[in-house]
Formats: sequence, structure tokens, C-alpha cells
Amino acid sequence: MNDFLGAYSIQHWLESCPQGYLEDTQFGHRGGENEPSFLIDNEVLREDAIRTTVQLVVGERCALSASSGLINAAPDEASRRFLATQTLDEARHVEVFTQRLYDLGVRKADLETTVERYANPNLVKFAEILLEKVDRKDFFCGVVGQNIVLEGMAFSVFEMMHAMNGAQNPKFAHTLSGTIADERRHVGFGENRIGSLLREHPEKKSEIERMQRDMSWFMLATFAEAFRENRTDAELDRIGFERSHATFHGADLAELSLEEMEGLLANTVLGEFKTRLSRIGLEYQSPPRP
Amino acid sequence: MNAAPAIAAPEPVLAIERSGEAAGERRRYELEDTGFNEVPKRFRRFYRRWGGPGEVLAPNEVLCPVCKVVIRSTRELRPGDHVFCLPCMSKLVVVRAADGSLAATSPH
Repeated sequence: MNDFLGAYSIQHWLESCPQGYLEDTQFGHRGGENEPSFLIDNEVLREDAIRTTVQLVVGERCALSASSGLINAAPDEASRRFLATQTLDEARHVEVFTQRLYDLGVRKADLETTVERYANPNLVKFAEILLEKVDRKDFFCGVVGQNIVLEGMAFSVFEMMHAMNGAQNPKFAHTLSGTIADERRHVGFGENRIGSLLREHPEKKSEIERMQRDMSWFMLATFAEAFRENRTDAELDRIGFERSHATFHGADLAELSLEEMEGLLANTVLGEFKTRLSRIGLEYQSPPRP
Repeated sequence: MNAAPAIAAPEPVLAIERSGEAAGERRRYELEDTGFNEVPKRFRRFYRRWGGPGEVLAPNEVLCPVCKVVIRSTRELRPGDHVFCLPCMSKLVVVRAADGSLAATSPH
């Protein structure tokens, strides 16, 4: 077993998360912070925020099922303990993003119908590919799908959303910064653990690469639909609300069209996939562009 | 005084003496807390958040390619040094990038 796994202890997790960046937070943000009134009071902006947050809930529900489902498929005790901490991280993500839906005005009784109404079908397919591997107790595919493909995507999506919300919505930006911190551990585990296991089991590579290609297609389709459905930019222009000049990978997001933003995000995520996969000895498989 | 470490994680710089580049005195750096709170308190000064592409790092700093956190050393880093990124648990090796800057790479 790699000695890096020895550091993945519950003690380390406690000192890093609850006693670190989550100390004194409430549902991931600082006490007293609220969704901004310009968003809550505008029906178009509020609905767009609900639609976006539903995708986060769907992604995190998938991550919760995957990380908990992989615990008993893990080949060693340290990986099981790490996945137990990841399971709690993912459960927290589900909770904080669900709480955001309530903060945006979704009634508790309407939660499931709201998720059903706004969930992007491509994101649901993306999740189904991963969960099918988890159901088969396939640790290799499960960890690559979860900790490299899903978490790698979430890492870039959260960073972009964090940049966009930093000035306009500090409450949501703080919630996102805690999830980004969690993702660092998750992608690190994916690369370090699978990297070493794949050297012992090279026969698994082609199956993992096929799964990555299929998941990537549905991810790109999700991005395309999400940006196509976005009405926030047009509404902000209509009400004369200045967009924040946030920088993401060298680009000023206020200067980009929705199409350009979609391209920037897709290229960032795919670029990250390629380098992450190559570090663990896998070759990125390009899906056809949706 | 800090309590004894409760975890097995090593200090960020694992083996500075392994450097293969020219010998010579390395500059030393006082590390202050930069507000990075994603690792246990006693390790926080060894890391900071990254400012994004285009940010020039100090000679005692290198970017973790796995989780995009800046790893900081009390001594100037050189190619061949082994460093450890505690936020994502990656063991890395310092290399000289094509543009002359220092970079960290996975030893896999």
C-alpha cells in the first residue's frame, strides 16, 4: 500500500475541515449572510439560480451515492476510511446546496418536484454511467469516474462559479470555497490511489477510458444546455446591473458571451481531464461534440 | 508550543538534499500564515492559495498540479527536490519548466 494513504486519517480530516475552513460556518457560509436581494426579488434571476443549484444537488447526490457505494469495494482499510470522509463531504455538499434551494424560496415539500423539473437529463445520464460502475463494485472505474471525471469537472465548475459570485453573492461564494477545498482532497485521492493501482492492473485501462469518453460526452451536453438555458446575463443587462469583472483562467468573465463562457469552461475541464488522466497513465478519449 | 503531530503527514519539503542542481547556499525564508486554512494549523504556513495563471511564484514556492495550491518551503527550491502537498496528499518532484520557472510534477 502507498504510504500516502497513511495520512488520509479521520484525525487529519477533522483538523482540516471542521476545525479548519468549516469552523464557524452555517451551511457552508458565514453566519448572517443571505442571498442578495437583487436575486431574490427578480423572478428570472431567482429561477436561473434555482436551476443552477439543482444541477449542483444532482451532481452531489451522485457523488454521495458513489463515494458511499465504493467503501466496501475498496481494496484496503485506508482507502475505506478516506471514502468514509469523502462520503461525509458529499453529504454536506448535498445539504448545503439543498439549503440554498430553500434560501431561494423553494418550499421543503416541493424539493423533489423542483429537482425533477430542473435536473438536466444529460447530467442524469452522466451520473447513471458512474453509478452503474459503482453498483458493480468496480473500484477502478468508480474512483476514476467519481474522483477524476466528476470531481475534476466539479473543481473547474465551482471555481468558475466562485469567480462569478465573489463580488455579487459572497454567501454563495463562501459555500463554494468550502466545496472547492473538499475537492482538492478528492481529486488527490483519485490520482494518487488509482495511479498506483493501475500500474498493477493495466488491463483495466481500456474500460476506464471508454467510461471517461461516455461521461465526457454527457458533461459537454450538460454545459451546452446549461448555457443555452441561461437567462441571467440578458436579465442583468435589462435591469442595468453591471456584471462583475471576475477573472477565470485569464479571461474577464464580464466580457465574454455565453457561448464563449461555455467554450472556456469546456476547454478548461477537458484540458484538466487530459493532464490528470495522463498523470495516472490513461489516455484521454475525445467524445464527439454534442 | 504545538502538540506532537497526530498524523503521519510529512512536512512539505520531503528531501531537499536530493536536489540535482548546482550546489550552493540556499536562501532561507520566514513563512507567515497567509490565511490558508485547509490543513491542520501547524502546517498552514507551508501553503497558500494560488492567484491563477500568470502569477509569478517566489523561488521557495511551487504550484501543486493536482489541486492548484502553492506549496511553500523555508528554503529556496531547486530541481530534484521532493515536496509534499498536504491539501491533496500528492508527493511531487520539483523540475525546471520550459520557461525557466520551477514546476512540480508527479513522480508516477
